[in-house]
Amino acid sequence: MAKISAMRQFKAILKKDIVMELRTKEMLTSMGLYTLLTLVVYYVALSQAGNGFDVRLIAGGLLWLAFLFTSMLGLNRSLVHEKDQGCLEALLLSPLDRPVIFFGKAVGNLIFLLIVEVITIPIFMFMFLSGRPIAGPIWGIAVALLVGAVGISGIGTLLATMSVNTTGKDFILAVLFIPIMFPLLYAAVAATSAIIIGNPGYMSLFWTAMAIGAAYDVIMLVAAYGLYEFIIGA
Amino acid sequence: MKQLRTALVLLIVGGVLTTVDLFWAFWWSTVTTFGTATFPNAVNTARPFLGQTAQGFMYGRAWFSQKIFYFHVPVAEASFLVFGVAAFFAIRFLMTRRKEYDTKSRIAMEVTLLFVILTMITGDLWTKASWGVWWQWEPRLTTYFIMTLLVIAYFVLRNSVEDEERRAVYAAVFCIIAFIDAPISFMITRLIPSDHPVVFTQSGLDTNQLIPFIIGQIGMLMIGYAIYTMRMSEERLHERLDVAKESLES
Repeated sequence: MAKISAMRQFKAILKKDIVMELRTKEMLTSMGLYTLLTLVVYYVALSQAGNGFDVRLIAGGLLWLAFLFTSMLGLNRSLVHEKDQGCLEALLLSPLDRPVIFFGKAVGNLIFLLIVEVITIPIFMFMFLSGRPIAGPIWGIAVALLVGAVGISGIGTLLATMSVNTTGKDFILAVLFIPIMFPLLYAAVAATSAIIIGNPGYMSLFWTAMAIGAAYDVIMLVAAYGLYEFIIGA
Repeated sequence: MKQLRTALVLLIVGGVLTTVDLFWAFWWSTVTTFGTATFPNAVNTARPFLGQTAQGFMYGRAWFSQKIFYFHVPVAEASFLVFGVAAFFAIRFLMTRRKEYDTKSRIAMEVTLLFVILTMITGDLWTKASWGVWWQWEPRLTTYFIMTLLVIAYFVLRNSVEDEERRAVYAAVFCIIAFIDAPISFMITRLIPSDHPVVFTQSGLDTNQLIPFIIGQIGMLMIGYAIYTMRMSEERLHERLDVAKESLES
């Protein structure tokens, strides 16, 4: 039997996740709804701040908070499916390269997270930032979202694969995920806030933060790529 | 047994050395205040008496906050080192899959947890004495706090995996990923502006400060090694007991 190329294997895993999502629409609805609920909680939290309060100062942080928690929900779901329906074992039995399984799952999670982000941002701006224009270019926010989402889905897929096999599941994911994610989260919030607030010299802050975030992405992706084999084989 | 005896001796010697270090620091070392940062919300009680140039000693207690240095810095540096040892054994475990490396990595993490907690406590005492606040979200403090959380998370993870082999692999993988934060925390005061003092490259130390510091550092490393060895010999006894139990049952 001719060996199936890594690209085809990757596409097969990605297609499986997308087809399943298109049929059940479970991940996107749960993640999207969760983000909307988070926005409601934000309104309650800010409701007593008064009119003088400039929400732009914390808008970047609020956005990333929503994405962080939504992504944890999504990551957990995506791996719980695999485990409960015995799909993970089937993937291991099939002649797939282990790193390909990692990239297939990670890119799937990345796509779902990006979709949620793209839907959330306009709603967030509509609800919280109307009448308060964003200072910087909008593509800056897109870059920050991409850098953040790549790191979240990369290392998140590894940690979620670990946490679904523990007794604590989503709690364990939070305990492992948030401290590991900290440097990236910080960089992403710094970059997004720089664009939204637009203090003098904000572009240099933006690029510094993005460089740190991207470097962190690379380190974590390499680590996750190298270590995923051990996790999935255990 | 011989190892245990060596460990006991090391523990006692290490204890004596760290004590000597503190006594030395209190009696003979000159007082310099490392880190002259003042915060807007800090209570500078020294300023009314000493004028506007006096900075960094709050509550007029510069000597106390400075003495913590002789405990805080050795234990913090030892914690980074032991964390590195744990990560090293984690890598060894993933390469060889031998159970003893997993045990070694876990014991090293236990020592790390102890040292990290001691660092946080002494660090907070220093922060309160020197900056007038218990906590400041400042790069070094924040990254070190994250490291503390990671070390705690390591044990939470261990406790929630039932299968023994899987637990070992997961713990090793997490230990390696978590260790990425250690060099970040160590280097961050040198990379970005931080209020945490960087003593060795910026302030410098007098001889009568350097000698007790080195004594304390050696003592702390001895204590760390002694605890590690004692725990290891305890683990070995446990394993022998298990083997004996099994052979009795069969």
